[in-house]
Amino acid sequence: MDLFVQTLVNGLLQSGLYALVASGLALAVGVVGIVNFAHGEYLMIGAFLAWAGSAFLGVDPLLSLPVIAVAVFAIGALTYRVSIRHVLLAPELNQMLLTFGLGILLQNLALMLLGGNTRTVTTPYQASSLQLGDLSVGGPKALAFGLAALLLGALYVVLYRTTLGRQMRAVAQNRRGAQLIGIDVDRVYLIAFGVSCALAAVAGVLVSVLLFASPTVGLVFALKAFAIIVMAGLGNLTGVLWASVLLGVSEALVQTYVPGGGGWSDAVFFLMIFGTLVLRSFRGAR
Amino acid sequence: MTAATTIGGTLSPASQGAEVLRAEGLSKRFGGLKAVQDVSFTHHQGEILAVIGPNGAGKTTLLNLLSGVYRPSAGRLHLMGRDVTDQPMEARCHAGLGRAFQIVRPFPEMTVHENVTVGALFGKPGQRLPEARERAWALLERTGLAAHADKAAHELTLLQDKRLEVARALATNPSVLLLDEVMAGLRPGEAQEAVALVRGVRESGVSVLFIEHIMPVVRDLADRVVVMDQGQVLAQGTYREVTADPRVVSAYLGTEEGLQA
Amino acid sequence: MSARQAEAGAPVRAAPRREITPGAALPLLGFLLLAALFPFLPLGSRAEFLLQIAFFTLVAGIMALSWDILARSGQVSLAHAAFYGLGAYGYALLLKAGLPWLLAMPVAALLAGGVSLILGAVTMRLSGMYFAIATLAFTEVVRTIIQNLPESVAGGATGLLVPALLGGNSRAQYALAWGLLAFTVLVSLAVRLTRLHFAFAAIRQGEETARVLGVSIVRFKLLAFFISSSLAALAGVLYAGKTFFINPLETFSLANSIAPLTTSIFGGLYTTLGPVLGATVLRVAEELLHNSVKDGYLVVYGLVLMLSILWLPRGLMGLRRNRKHGGDL
Repeated sequence: MDLFVQTLVNGLLQSGLYALVASGLALAVGVVGIVNFAHGEYLMIGAFLAWAGSAFLGVDPLLSLPVIAVAVFAIGALTYRVSIRHVLLAPELNQMLLTFGLGILLQNLALMLLGGNTRTVTTPYQASSLQLGDLSVGGPKALAFGLAALLLGALYVVLYRTTLGRQMRAVAQNRRGAQLIGIDVDRVYLIAFGVSCALAAVAGVLVSVLLFASPTVGLVFALKAFAIIVMAGLGNLTGVLWASVLLGVSEALVQTYVPGGGGWSDAVFFLMIFGTLVLRSFRGAR
Repeated sequence: MTAATTIGGTLSPASQGAEVLRAEGLSKRFGGLKAVQDVSFTHHQGEILAVIGPNGAGKTTLLNLLSGVYRPSAGRLHLMGRDVTDQPMEARCHAGLGRAFQIVRPFPEMTVHENVTVGALFGKPGQRLPEARERAWALLERTGLAAHADKAAHELTLLQDKRLEVARALATNPSVLLLDEVMAGLRPGEAQEAVALVRGVRESGVSVLFIEHIMPVVRDLADRVVVMDQGQVLAQGTYREVTADPRVVSAYLGTEEGLQA
Repeated sequence: MSARQAEAGAPVRAAPRREITPGAALPLLGFLLLAALFPFLPLGSRAEFLLQIAFFTLVAGIMALSWDILARSGQVSLAHAAFYGLGAYGYALLLKAGLPWLLAMPVAALLAGGVSLILGAVTMRLSGMYFAIATLAFTEVVRTIIQNLPESVAGGATGLLVPALLGGNSRAQYALAWGLLAFTVLVSLAVRLTRLHFAFAAIRQGEETARVLGVSIVRFKLLAFFISSSLAALAGVLYAGKTFFINPLETFSLANSIAPLTTSIFGGLYTTLGPVLGATVLRVAEELLHNSVKDGYLVVYGLVLMLSILWLPRGLMGLRRNRKHGGDL
């Protein structure tokens, strides 16, 4: 029983990180209407920036986090300006392939410049843990979960309580309508895409502490984020939360209870994608 | 042109023919919305049947039920004496159902001739490519598109696009042809040509079921009319009969469209 | 309308300008001829190395062309690495089971084709990004399964040794790769020149319309999957037999899904010559870059993909003639 509860808690903590990555992706899909296959690469950039700050400047990743978020927001905005903006009206296939190419480009630039090795960040609180009765929770994990929850809360406040948020939701629902009532759609897209990338980068900072930084670290998170938004329904931000929890907890259960589970848990997201897609396509109107 | 086809409002002898399409209590719900409710009618060999009704009456949903885009929530559909309710679109095509869409849907990267070849090749099982190409040519000549065979569909005028839509559906060698507002968007002169085209289709032995808003077209073309309102069949009969029906008149008045449109 | 045509006295049945003439096959024949002659060129001291590059260019050509065949039916897949890998692993395991290589090769291809039917059935009603994500995830799972099977079965994460193809004779290996590319070209032409072309193109350009016209999407989508992944598996067999050693990470690498996709788009989608030409250009560029940097040479694919989408949507084939819609092979 203790093992079971411990497993649930581990899964829940993991889901905070997933929700952070996935809500960024959901923002790009929902507001801008772009399925960003390069999403994981912004996570990778965040992870490397955190590593660089720690290794060269001695700055703790948690302190450099706000700076990194702003920097990657700018990179995201630039990406929007030079590429995404030009395919907004193109067929979905072209949009998809463009971001896919961007992802390959960024990932391999990182490989070229930094090599394929993983880089770890050392922090004083790395090995710390919290004891709650019989439960033991890794300090960084708890911290990451707390931060993710905080940021997601902030995202919801922005979306539902500010003018910018209302504009984003208006654009998401009806681009032309939003234009007609005087919303600068291009500006909203730029901000939404930038924020989407920044959220991925923040997740990347956390990943650098929890795991490591490497050129390919983003891919698996991006795949899981796709699983989550497919489960949640495209662009549905609230759905992202429960889908993240579902994925995090299922993975933890597989890890604990399936023999050799560590290797299999990375396949859980796939079953979720398939399950959801198959269910949805056969429940359709036909 | 035979006399029977030109007389509007009278029952054509053809409608006494064998049944080609029979709907029995067809219904379709979307969530709580009853888009089509308990629709029954019989379509006979060689008959031109019109389905009319105010906007939102469920005409296009009905057409989608007939062609198999949607599965009905209840009811059965018989095509050429076979129950095709559970058959997918392609099987209904093989069984003799052709359809032209309201908003033309040519294959954009194909020429006009290739578009029609697709219908000729797959409309019935076991067709061979050379023969399908030949039949496509014949249909292009029949529908007045032969001179445009090599053009891409987007180079055509709207009337030509509609001809292509009909030619492609005819290429599948249907027993029944479903036409969804083929006159929509056409200028009066063009509409006359389209009317002639539909008559020609019937003369070639194909029964026609069409949705139409333009009442003079319905009057000129239809042997029999099914009037729909709010998903249900309001009245059936000749053009003269249904337009004299007070329920039909009030349904149309209620929508400000007017029967004399 | 036909009356107007008759008045003008023009032939009503002039061959459409898109009709494919035998001459359209000349560039393809030329390419295959040049490729066949390559080992006989005076390659100098680096002959062995150049022959290896040429070998993998042929493999890339098979991959790209087989990917394109699937794409013609509107299925833009990110699962090509899975079938490449299944070919490689299937071949290795069949050899281990004692099959002669000449038999192991086609059996591995057919097995991969069989597995592709499962994926194809599941993704049947998916399109666009859903299809892409499902195929991407499929690749990851095939890799996970092979990696987590007991090491005695498929070598686990470490990998498997594979006996060298044709005793390691690189000229014979090259000849085999050439033969398989020529076979793939023939299959591609067969798809282009028969009813399959009309079925695939119709499904791609309007699935519902195609169904209304009687095109059985189940049959044709699955057929496209089967043909495409069996050919990709043949490329995987060549890879396994050439490198002696396969492991899950490299064999199922995302790069093996990206390369054929990028290559086809860059060369010219839905053609036979385009993907083959694209493979030649990109593979050589990749090798040149590979010489100067250790990692990240795939940057070429990312860049080419982005630039093609933004500025060259019809690929290299689009440069050849300014046609509104290609009648090319």
